Amino acid sequence: MENTRILNRIVEINISNVKYTDIELSGNTCFVGTNNFGKTSLQRAILFFYSANSRGLGISASQKPFEEHYFRYENSYLVYEIATEEKPFFVIVYRHNKLVFRFVDAAYDPDFFFTANDEALKIKEVIANIEKRGIYISNQVDTFERYRNILYGTETDKVLSKFFLLKGNEKYQNIPKSITNVFLSSKSSIDSRFIKDFIANSLTNENSSIKLEQVERQLRQFNEKYTDIETFLKKDSQQLIEMIDKKYDQVHMLKGAQMEMADKLGSSLRYAESQNEAIRNASKKKEEELEKITEEHDAFLASIDDKQNLAREEIGYYDRTIREANKKLKFYKEQNIDEALEKNAERESLMVELNIARREYESLTSNVANIELKYSSLIEQLRNDKTAYINRTNSKTNEVFNHFNELQLVQKNEYNKREAELKQKREESINDVNAEVTAKQIEFNELKSEEKVIKSTRFYDNEIRDLENELAELRAVSYKNKSERAIKQNMVHSIQREWENLETKLKTSLGNRVNQINNEVQKIKEDIKEIENKLNVQNDAFYGFLEKNVKNWQNTIGKVVNEKLLFRTDITPELSNETANTLYGISLNLEPVEIVSKSIEEYQFEKNTRLAQIRDLEESLNQFQVANNEEKMLAADKFGKQLGELKEDVKVLTYSLDLADKREKKLSDELEDWKNRAGKEVDETLTSNRQRLNLIEEELSILSRKKNLLFSDFNNQLDKLKTYNDERLAELKERQETEISELEVEKKNSVKEFEAKEDELVKDKDINFKSKGVDSKQLKAVESRMKEIQDALKAIEQYAQIISDYLKDKRETFDKLPDLIQKKEEFVKNNNEYTVQQEDAKGKFNLKRLELNKQKRAFDEELIEFNNGISFFSNNFRDTPIYTKYADIIEKAEPRRTQHNIMDLCTQLLKNDSHFNEEYGAFQRYVNEFAGKFRIDNHFNFIIRNDAVQSEYERFAQNLRSFLNENKIELSIAETATQIGLVTDSIATKVKELSGQKEKIEHIIGLIAEDFKKAEFEESKLIEFIKIRLEESDNKVYKLLKRIQEFREENGLVYNEGLFNTDFATGQKREISGRAVKLLEQLRNAIKEQEQEEIRLQDLFELKFNIKEGMNETGWTHKIDSIGSTGTDILVKAIIYITLLHVFIKESSHRSSKDFKVHCIIDEVGQISAHYLRELLRFAKNRNIMMINGLPNKSGLESHYKYTYQFRREENNNVRIFPSIVTEVEA
Amino acid sequence: MLAEDFNLPKQTHEIFAVMSRGNFISSNGSKDGMNRLYDIINNPENFERLQAYFNVIRYNIERGNNYFYFSKLNEPNSELEKKLERFERYIDIIDLFASMDNKITIGSRFRPGEIAEECNANIRLKQKLQKIPLYRSETLHNKVREICDLMSRDSYLELEDEKTESYKVLDAYTYLLDVINSIAIYEETEGSDTTTGINYN
Repeated sequence: MENTRILNRIVEINISNVKYTDIELSGNTCFVGTNNFGKTSLQRAILFFYSANSRGLGISASQKPFEEHYFRYENSYLVYEIATEEKPFFVIVYRHNKLVFRFVDAAYDPDFFFTANDEALKIKEVIANIEKRGIYISNQVDTFERYRNILYGTETDKVLSKFFLLKGNEKYQNIPKSITNVFLSSKSSIDSRFIKDFIANSLTNENSSIKLEQVERQLRQFNEKYTDIETFLKKDSQQLIEMIDKKYDQVHMLKGAQMEMADKLGSSLRYAESQNEAIRNASKKKEEELEKITEEHDAFLASIDDKQNLAREEIGYYDRTIREANKKLKFYKEQNIDEALEKNAERESLMVELNIARREYESLTSNVANIELKYSSLIEQLRNDKTAYINRTNSKTNEVFNHFNELQLVQKNEYNKREAELKQKREESINDVNAEVTAKQIEFNELKSEEKVIKSTRFYDNEIRDLENELAELRAVSYKNKSERAIKQNMVHSIQREWENLETKLKTSLGNRVNQINNEVQKIKEDIKEIENKLNVQNDAFYGFLEKNVKNWQNTIGKVVNEKLLFRTDITPELSNETANTLYGISLNLEPVEIVSKSIEEYQFEKNTRLAQIRDLEESLNQFQVANNEEKMLAADKFGKQLGELKEDVKVLTYSLDLADKREKKLSDELEDWKNRAGKEVDETLTSNRQRLNLIEEELSILSRKKNLLFSDFNNQLDKLKTYNDERLAELKERQETEISELEVEKKNSVKEFEAKEDELVKDKDINFKSKGVDSKQLKAVESRMKEIQDALKAIEQYAQIISDYLKDKRETFDKLPDLIQKKEEFVKNNNEYTVQQEDAKGKFNLKRLELNKQKRAFDEELIEFNNGISFFSNNFRDTPIYTKYADIIEKAEPRRTQHNIMDLCTQLLKNDSHFNEEYGAFQRYVNEFAGKFRIDNHFNFIIRNDAVQSEYERFAQNLRSFLNENKIELSIAETATQIGLVTDSIATKVKELSGQKEKIEHIIGLIAEDFKKAEFEESKLIEFIKIRLEESDNKVYKLLKRIQEFREENGLVYNEGLFNTDFATGQKREISGRAVKLLEQLRNAIKEQEQEEIRLQDLFELKFNIKEGMNETGWTHKIDSIGSTGTDILVKAIIYITLLHVFIKESSHRSSKDFKVHCIIDEVGQISAHYLRELLRFAKNRNIMMINGLPNKSGLESHYKYTYQFRREENNNVRIFPSIVTEVEA
Repeated sequence: MLAEDFNLPKQTHEIFAVMSRGNFISSNGSKDGMNRLYDIINNPENFERLQAYFNVIRYNIERGNNYFYFSKLNEPNSELEKKLERFERYIDIIDLFASMDNKITIGSRFRPGEIAEECNANIRLKQKLQKIPLYRSETLHNKVREICDLMSRDSYLELEDEKTESYKVLDAYTYLLDVINSIAIYEETEGSDTTTGINYN
């Protein structure tokens, strides 16, 4: 037995369609069999020993999984026996739900597994069987990982740690991977891609690639957000936002106004409908009231008229009586009534005197009585004649006098009659005019009263008062709102300051943290650099020398030598036996001394630890940044929301203040309007009143002129009548006087004659008396005295009638005159009082009537207005779409009196709606245009459907406003900025992780190149050389990824603040951010173009080969096929595989573990020449590698293998594998 | 003279490829990075350079409201006439679009199905749609699809989402509206013949 560890044997018990086979593998092995006989299955089973990975055996997805295909029965076993330096051990693989392993500390013995009848035992029986023999059998190893740890010597459990094939280092996983890769790619064509894959696959696991789909997704998400923000920040978009905001306000206001108006319309309509009957009744009531007061007034006037008529009659009576009395008085005065009265008073004394004279005369004449009698008779006769004559003449005179007096009386009567008639006519005419004047005067007074009423009336008082109240309320609310807005604005400012302070604080803390981390990272990087320097030079330094030449040097030299000295390359160490184990010849006990030096692995470990530290630091920075951003976002969320709400409040307040201002202005205008209208109404009413007053005044003056004319006309007529009368009277008087004077002359002459005769008689008598002796002188004296008295009595008698009349009149009239005057004055006064009462009553009535008429008119007008409004609404409004739009508001409005009429409201609503539609159209256009600028699935959710209804557009504007108020764009920017940091960081980390393995590749390639050099090709001259070299990758995506990683390292983590043209963005930061965005975009495009799913390790570099076979040199090329014949190609391929395997095994196993062999499984080598095969096997052998190959048939090549097995399918479809007898001509 | 001499943006070729086909570059177009191209042309420095460059090859960049297009310097009348003929067919289309309840404006997003549905429900619109010449599609939906397709080809619309068949109205639509609005229809009476014609202002 060789002193090496190797997979010695594989035993299949009930595996697939092989019932039992026992294959020895301790040398180069060859399987001969035609296709589909199970060669590859067997090779897979061998591979499974190394890889213990049922998924990585090259079984296609369409085939049954390894577990099911191989382990069909509960007594299916794969047994691998491993030869060791001492005794072999074996591993049992069986299925216990999943595949499990047990290590048995003994050489394989079929008796463990079979009964005496060659029946395979169940696992429990097998275990019992083994244990029964006192052989150690491990517990079940459940995982592939643990199995590999045991097999590759990294198991920590001491009981199991002896069951190893080789002692692997931390990279031992490369060994099974390499063996697997050789097996899996053995059928592929050979080019550098494969080699790359091979190396890469060996170095990496499934997760160590950059999944481009994931990167693309991150980039897409970032790019979309970035585009959205960019679109949002564009000038056009900002302008559109402003316009949307403005239009929304307008539209909102218009809508509000429309709704308010609709409400007013509804209220007015309801009110009109509900008030119709009431107004009708009110109007009727007013009418009745008017009729009633008119009746009352008329009755009152009639009563006053009656009283006045009575008074006037009385006045007339007294007036007439007084006038007549005065007239009589005047007449008596003219008749010298006073004188007559005086004379009349003397009558009695005269009568007495006459009687005395008579008695004296009688006594004197008593002696001559006869003569006396005779003469007395004669004289008496004569006197009688004379008296008769005088009487006749007087009678005549009287007749004439009377006749003319009669004529004069007739004339006077006629005159009086005419005069009375004229005066009556005049009175009548004047009365007519006066009546007219009075009527006009009444009207005038009425108008005057009306004017007073108008002046004192406040027109549209209710409207004005309502407006004034409304204005007062509005101003109070505005004042309150202004204060509230000022408070909220202050709050906005203070919150903004607080927010800014917090942001500055966060920014500063982030900056500090970044600096701190960068410093720490820098420090660690320096450490890493130092370690890398050590690692780089270690081969050529004293350290490398010790590694190669001094066993356990760490425990000796390592404890005393300065670490720096270990990595010096200039001290040229050489071995010298003399001083071994001594320090310059002095032996030291170094047991208690600490080891100064470290192994390469430790350095590597330290380096990795530091890299991990950097990663941790960066991760912590990332976390800090994320936390910082989160804090920022929380602050933005908190303050933004508060600010948003406050700003919204301020906006609402501003808006309501604007509205209030507008409303105030409107109300003020309306108030002014109403006042003007009221003033105008007063003016108009007054003007019309004054016009009417002027007219009446004019009429009154006309009437006055007419009255004067009438007066003068009648006076003229009266004057003429009087003149005519006077003339007529004068004429009659004259004729009377003429005739009377004629009669008087005649009478005088006759009297004279009588008197002459009487004188003659008297003289005769006297002569007789004298003759008789009678004193005639005395007699005569008595006679003349008697005569005088009689004359005086006659004169008195003349006034007797008039005095009698006078006295009668005086008694009856003149004495009562003062009473009459007083009574007349009383009646005049009463009459005046009645007039005043009448005027008063008329004034009051007129006022009342005016008021009632006005009220009635107002009711009537209102009713007409209501009916017109309702009719207009029904005919011109109800069928319009605007009614449908506001039907709810209109129909649900409470009945309320408004200052607007229905018709105006309808018209205004219709007019406003057209304006509203125009504005709304513009609003919608702006929203569409704005939303259209963004992607359909933009992360701001700025999206509006084409058939969106008004509420959706309004919600859009509201959301946009909230977005602005809450400053969500800053949040989005912060998120996106974090995202770009995270994306680049994630890319950089992945690239770094991946490209970190590039060093390994370089190392491996170096080793491979070295190994190629060592190949003893010159001997056979088959292949002169195989050269391999590493070149930079030309993968576009990887290049960009690398640039991003470099960018990330160059600029650290925080370069994202200048991502957008915001306040943060300073020139340099913007430039850097711009580069970052550009790089990410390029990467995204490249990923799209390249359509590659992932960037793997193999994409990080290019491999080129240069092979010379005979005279043929390929030159530096990716491809290594068609170098020569197929055989040559297979040879080269196999050489490369073996080299790769060798290098990986060397790299992945512990340095001290050299005594082991592994298998290289290459299925098809059928076309290789025997010569080449021999060379190949020898090449492998030199590298402790045993070949397992498949051949389709026996061709002589099998003779070069230690073991050859043939495959045969039996009748029951089972495959039998049996050793072929060949002569080994091993290399 | 080489493109490099003008220090042109690297998208110059792309810009030329779009606009030389008679298409527009609209700011709200998202397909094929149209908005990026717009931003590039809209950059004043770039604009001057591009203008100078394209003028050499007798093209002039015309700036509209958020869109760009080429006009040819000294374009022959025959070419102009062809262009005008292209607009004639849009008269009925714009008329239809303008009569829709949901107005089609810049940035609007719609599906042909929606338009067809509205046309189907409204006899006036249906007649307008049926009146539109040049199309042989039998169903209303297909006809609208063809219209949208035509407008997309002429870069007035953009098929934003193929799956949902959602179109977006691009800024260049303004150009179409402006041209259509500036068409004055005149009538000529010569004897008994009445000729109807179109004037483009």
